[in-house]
Amino acid sequence: MIDLALKDLSEHKVRTILTALGIFIAITAIVSLGSISTGLNQLITESTGSIGSDTIFVMRTFDMSEMVGPPGSYQIEDMEREDVEFLASLPGVKRAVPIIARQFGGMFEVDAVDMDNVDLFGVENVEFMEGTWPDNEDKGAVLGYLAASTMDVVVGDYIILPGSKKDIEVEVMGIFEEGSGAYDLVILLPYEFGDEIYETDGGATQVMLEPTDVSVVQEVKDTIEEENDDLDAMTMQDALSMMEEATGTLNIMTFGIGFVASLVAAIGIIITMYTSVLERRKQIGIMKAVGAVRRMILQQILEEGLMLSAVSSVLAVLVSFFFVEMLNQVLLGGAELALITPALAGGAIAYGVLLTVLSSMYPAWVAVKTDPIKAIRGVM
Amino acid sequence: MKGPIFELRDVWKTYCMKGVETNALRGINLVIKDGEYTAILGPSGSGKSTLMHIMGCLDTPTKGKVFIEGREISQMSDDELARVRRDKIGFVFQAYNLIQGLTAIENISLPMRFSGHGRGESQRKAKDLLAKVGLVERMHHKPNEMSGGEQQRVAIARSLINDPDVILADEPTGNLDTKTGKEIMDLLESLHKKTGKTIMVVTHDTRLAARANREIRMIDGHVVEK
Ligand SMILES: Nc1ncnc2c1ncn2[C@@H]1O[C@H](COP(=O)(O)OP(=O)(O)OP(=O)(O)O)[C@@H](O)[C@H]1O
Ligand SMILES: [Mg+2]
Repeated sequence: MIDLALKDLSEHKVRTILTALGIFIAITAIVSLGSISTGLNQLITESTGSIGSDTIFVMRTFDMSEMVGPPGSYQIEDMEREDVEFLASLPGVKRAVPIIARQFGGMFEVDAVDMDNVDLFGVENVEFMEGTWPDNEDKGAVLGYLAASTMDVVVGDYIILPGSKKDIEVEVMGIFEEGSGAYDLVILLPYEFGDEIYETDGGATQVMLEPTDVSVVQEVKDTIEEENDDLDAMTMQDALSMMEEATGTLNIMTFGIGFVASLVAAIGIIITMYTSVLERRKQIGIMKAVGAVRRMILQQILEEGLMLSAVSSVLAVLVSFFFVEMLNQVLLGGAELALITPALAGGAIAYGVLLTVLSSMYPAWVAVKTDPIKAIRGVM
Repeated sequence: MKGPIFELRDVWKTYCMKGVETNALRGINLVIKDGEYTAILGPSGSGKSTLMHIMGCLDTPTKGKVFIEGREISQMSDDELARVRRDKIGFVFQAYNLIQGLTAIENISLPMRFSGHGRGESQRKAKDLLAKVGLVERMHHKPNEMSGGEQQRVAIARSLINDPDVILADEPTGNLDTKTGKEIMDLLESLHKKTGKTIMVVTHDTRLAARANREIRMIDGHVVEK
């Protein structure tokens, strides 16, 4: 009886379109928000892969409440040479890699790191578009694609880094491929050179520690925090749970907004379907009079709901792909953060259909209860 | 031998509106045999429609028993009644009661669709019936694009689609002029003659009623046989 349901939907185009719009908006909201959660989860999984999962990050203790202003504007204070030496000497530490980090332009970050130890930084697999790594003795740097294109430099050019004490010139020796994620925004140089430029005197903004074995990670972290009040040690586990907390908040937000949007959509469906049933009481009465059993009436109302919701949910998912692409391109500068997985897309369509079927229940029940005698006697 | 198609035993129908009770039927006893052609006459408000609705399984009696081919209908569920209406009875109404959004052929095929047949099969049979009532060229017309007589012929075709044993027609000519009314009655009469279906027609026209095998008069909720 699909043909009959279709006929009815097309006879009331405006009403059909308005209801479809309600479902469409709800599903688009759910998919778009859901894509960010999904993307973040993916990012967490990937970053655990790229940086060794047993790496410990150490930095100077800082107060969260001081971290105001735009991202990147807060500069964590450096550790002293003694702190770095203390960390390197700890039992259970195989490698201690000091990093001098400076933010600039709100987006870019300079990292000075020992060139033999970039693997700990998770960067050894990034491809070069031009040039290659500097040696530890070189007075040069590697630039991320966006950093290089923003500064409009190529390999062989010289740049002066912001915050450089004596305006020391830095040679551009390599540029990473475009689309290297966070490394698009980075400038990497040898630790010794960074120490000279920023006059850190053997200090570091952050020290990455590689433990001798994964089992000593917690032990090393505890020792650091017990013996040095000024230092904070963060394991990959800590970082992960912080990110998970953030995605958790986002999930709750998605759920909340999705819930409200669903409620609005559901009310829309109930009202339209109900009006449609009331308008058609005579028709339904006649159908019953000429032998439609309850299931037939129910089936027709639900078929209408199913078609309506299937079409608008599928459309919503398609449009969400477009939204998410815009979000990634325009707001996140090409980072593939938001992600629509097949599970998310399929789940959202199924949800839209289920929502409609559930909302059609009451109107369908009203339809089933129509008294044929009233339709026949012309009371309706 | 096959039993009577309808048997009514002391059937009462009482309507209650705002505390006022109306006895539309007051103890009807009636037997209609298979293949009979019966006309029902009677003044307005005498209970003719009420009786037809009860026999047509659209309504149930307040008191008494109704048997269709020996099965009692007051015990039946809504769906069982719907199936009896669908398979055993063809109903023709004074106001045609076609579905406005559907074409003639779709209206006619509807009861067959309800009994689980496909669109193509149902429309093929509907087309045959349209030919029988002489309306093939109106196949794709909607009710509001047809005259009253044409609509009633479509309604008759619809009542026939599931090959019912009985046709119940409640004032089928009530909204039509004399000439068209006669054409509709001719159509019903030929159905009776050709297929031997049991036919009951409510009419106000004594001349048309006289053509039936049997005349029943209703007065004040009672049946008076002529
Ligand atoms: N739903 C109802 N509620 C209350 N009273 C009703 C209802 N339906 C019918 N009646 C009453 O029952 C009586 C019989 O009605 P019915 O329609 O059967 O008469 P009828 O013989 O078909 O009349 P007509 O020739 O005008 O069609 C009337 O008095 C009518 O007012
Ligand atoms: Mg009547």
